[in-house]
Amino acid sequence: MGCGAMMKSVMEVLLLLMLFFTAHAKEKSYSPPEKPTQTRCRSPEKETFTCWWEPGSDGGLPTTYALYYRKENSETVYECPDYHTAGENSCFFNKNDTSIWVNYNISVVATNALGRAFSDPVDIDVVYIVEPNPPEKLTVAVMEDKGWPFLLVSWEPPHKADTRSGWITLIYELRVRLEEEEDDWEMHHAGQQKMFNIFSLRSGGEYLVEVRCKPDHGFWSEWSSTSYVKVPDYFHREKSMWILVAVFSAFIFLILTWLLHMNSHSLKHCILPPVPGPKIKGFDNKLLKNGNSDEIFSALVVPNFPPASSSKYEEMLVEYLEVYVPEEPELMLEESKDLLDGCHKSENSRSDSDSGRGSCDSHTLLMDKCGETKEEERQTNRESSLMETQGWKEEAINHDTSGKVKTWPSVYSPLPQYGSNPLDKQSSLETAKQHSLSTSPFLTQPGTKDALGPSYTDFCLSNKENHLHPQTLAHRELQTRSDVNISNIGCKRSSATEYVEVQRVNKEDMVLLQPVVSRCGHIEGFPNLPKGEDYSKVKGVDCDNRLLLQREGTGEDVCPCVDQETNGEGGNCYTSSTVSTTQKPTACMYTAMPLQEETALTLNGYVDTATMGNLPSC
Amino acid sequence: MNRMNKMTVMQSIVWPLLLWPCLQTVSIPLDCREDQGGVNRCPSISQEKLLDRVIQHAELIYRVSEESCSLFEEMFIPFELQLQRNQAGYACITKALPIPSSRSEIQQISDKWLLHSVLMLVQSWIEPLVYLQTSLNLYDAAPDTLLNKTKWVSEKLISLEQGVVVLIKKMLDEGLLTTNSEQGLFHNNAQPEMLESVMRDYTSLSCFKKDAHKMETFLKLLKCRQTDKYNCA
Repeated sequence: MGCGAMMKSVMEVLLLLMLFFTAHAKEKSYSPPEKPTQTRCRSPEKETFTCWWEPGSDGGLPTTYALYYRKENSETVYECPDYHTAGENSCFFNKNDTSIWVNYNISVVATNALGRAFSDPVDIDVVYIVEPNPPEKLTVAVMEDKGWPFLLVSWEPPHKADTRSGWITLIYELRVRLEEEEDDWEMHHAGQQKMFNIFSLRSGGEYLVEVRCKPDHGFWSEWSSTSYVKVPDYFHREKSMWILVAVFSAFIFLILTWLLHMNSHSLKHCILPPVPGPKIKGFDNKLLKNGNSDEIFSALVVPNFPPASSSKYEEMLVEYLEVYVPEEPELMLEESKDLLDGCHKSENSRSDSDSGRGSCDSHTLLMDKCGETKEEERQTNRESSLMETQGWKEEAINHDTSGKVKTWPSVYSPLPQYGSNPLDKQSSLETAKQHSLSTSPFLTQPGTKDALGPSYTDFCLSNKENHLHPQTLAHRELQTRSDVNISNIGCKRSSATEYVEVQRVNKEDMVLLQPVVSRCGHIEGFPNLPKGEDYSKVKGVDCDNRLLLQREGTGEDVCPCVDQETNGEGGNCYTSSTVSTTQKPTACMYTAMPLQEETALTLNGYVDTATMGNLPSC
Repeated sequence: MNRMNKMTVMQSIVWPLLLWPCLQTVSIPLDCREDQGGVNRCPSISQEKLLDRVIQHAELIYRVSEESCSLFEEMFIPFELQLQRNQAGYACITKALPIPSSRSEIQQISDKWLLHSVLMLVQSWIEPLVYLQTSLNLYDAAPDTLLNKTKWVSEKLISLEQGVVVLIKKMLDEGLLTTNSEQGLFHNNAQPEMLESVMRDYTSLSCFKKDAHKMETFLKLLKCRQTDKYNCA
């Protein structure tokens, strides 16, 4: 019994203690409420609005919340008229209590047994917090436009918003997605209209459509309820086209394959050309193996080579080089310094240069003369260069003023000191020019264009040519290197030098030369031509790479030249010598000069055999 | 935020495009008279089109004033005061104007009254905006955008006034109203307590923004009253 009583008392004590402690604990958490926070206020139609707040901790005691507001410019404080319509922690202002374009100052107060807390006040104007309800009655229908389906979406504004009177102006936006693609919405802006068409649908797809709205100054509403729609399959259009395309491509592919197969061989050659093995034309490997050399090499032999007949001689280009050196060293003019260099070189080298240089380049001719007249050559060279640029007329004047010859050296330069005839002077000038052009494309010769290879050439001059434009001649002269050849003509000929002409080329491929005998007398300036030496003068080069040589005359200006070159005055053929050559009926149109048989090959003449092959081409 | 951005972008693109013809329209001289025997020298515009353009004008003015107000708020008003515009007791200039403040009241206003209210609002703000502009120019840190916007608004307000006058003439067949009577409004309501020009300008901007919204709303109401085919439904 005592234990039971003791137990009871202990229990009571314990209970009391517990109560005490719990009470104590409660007392510790009791506090005034925390400040509530106002979250937002919204008006769905610009006629009413609702404000919501978020309560803070209530401090353990039952707490009440109250909303108070003040309108602008008024000190009257009103309390929220309706706490319940809009749910918990909200205040609803109905139409009567709502004034637009008026600032409301709203604050929420939390009260409990221990105290109260005020929220931060908020100023709102109803017109700025409009957030309408979502649009209603959303309908989606599948329509067809020429076989292609589209969605016709239509809806209505929220019933509360008064768009009819223009109180609120709403703009709409809708979004569409396929059912299987989540969060992949396609947005469409619909403006103020209440229907919309959606195209580009997937055949057989299932779509979700939603719409929302916004006042012209306000917040977007929530998305409306979703509408589902299924697009029927519309295979035929799309697929049939692709089938057609596929069939067509397959057909073309087959044709291409067939073509490839047919031409596989040639294609192979095109893409991977076979590497040619070593092969000589006309050479039969098999014959070689068999071992009959005659048969083998017969294929390699070019028939009819070298040409054996004498008629071929005419076709061969034989060039006769002749340099006529006048007595006066002043006559030597050089077009360029190259000649001087050539003179220097010629002393050392014995090889003929194929550059059309003057006789100084030749190891056989005019060596001593070149050495003597170097100085004068330089002088006259400069003068001549100057002269050239200045024009021929000045040259003519110079002629008159000085006794020196400043014209182009020519084989037959009609120098003033050699002749007193003014006409001769003029003509001599022309001749000089002409001579200098000897290796250049001859103006009067038809068809010749390029400069001739190195050669010493003489050619006839006709009076007609006197009228040739001096300037052009000058220009041409400047360009021709072979003029240098002529300049070498300035080198005085010595009796030690001889001139050789090519007589013919015999069967053994030997060039038969003969000394040049000057026939055509004029060149007044060259009376000291040794006799017995013959020169053939190249008039020019024709189109067939043939030298046009002057027909030799005998001691007179008989140049059976073409009309261009002769005139009635007996052809101003200033030839230093004439070659006793056989002539073709076409005057001056022979290239080879088969000489008389008794002419002998002279070795002390200069023959520029190297030039034989270098005749110009048209 | 995305919505806001999209909205502002769309607005900044759409509204100038919409208002482009409006600007051209409003420059038509207003003293055209339709002589009975003579030729009407001024191009005439239909009432609907004029109303549309006036509405567009008002919309743009509101948008720009809203931007100016938020710009000003950002730069010059501390956060604590932004929500307490009424605390200091600053009143709008036009509070004396008898503007109804609820939809039901406004629905009962006649067309004539709507138009006149709009005209009153416009005319009462022309001078204060000029004053505001000069005040803003005195600021050290006023950004150019703000100054440009306020300048633009004051210019366009004058155009709006002209448009409304023409509208009144067309719709109500009334003559031109004088603009002198509203001058006193500003001076009478000058608040002696507004010592800080910043607060004063801020109040000015927000009040103007509100009044711009009023103008726009009235005009839209007017438009939807005209005819059903406007599809205001």
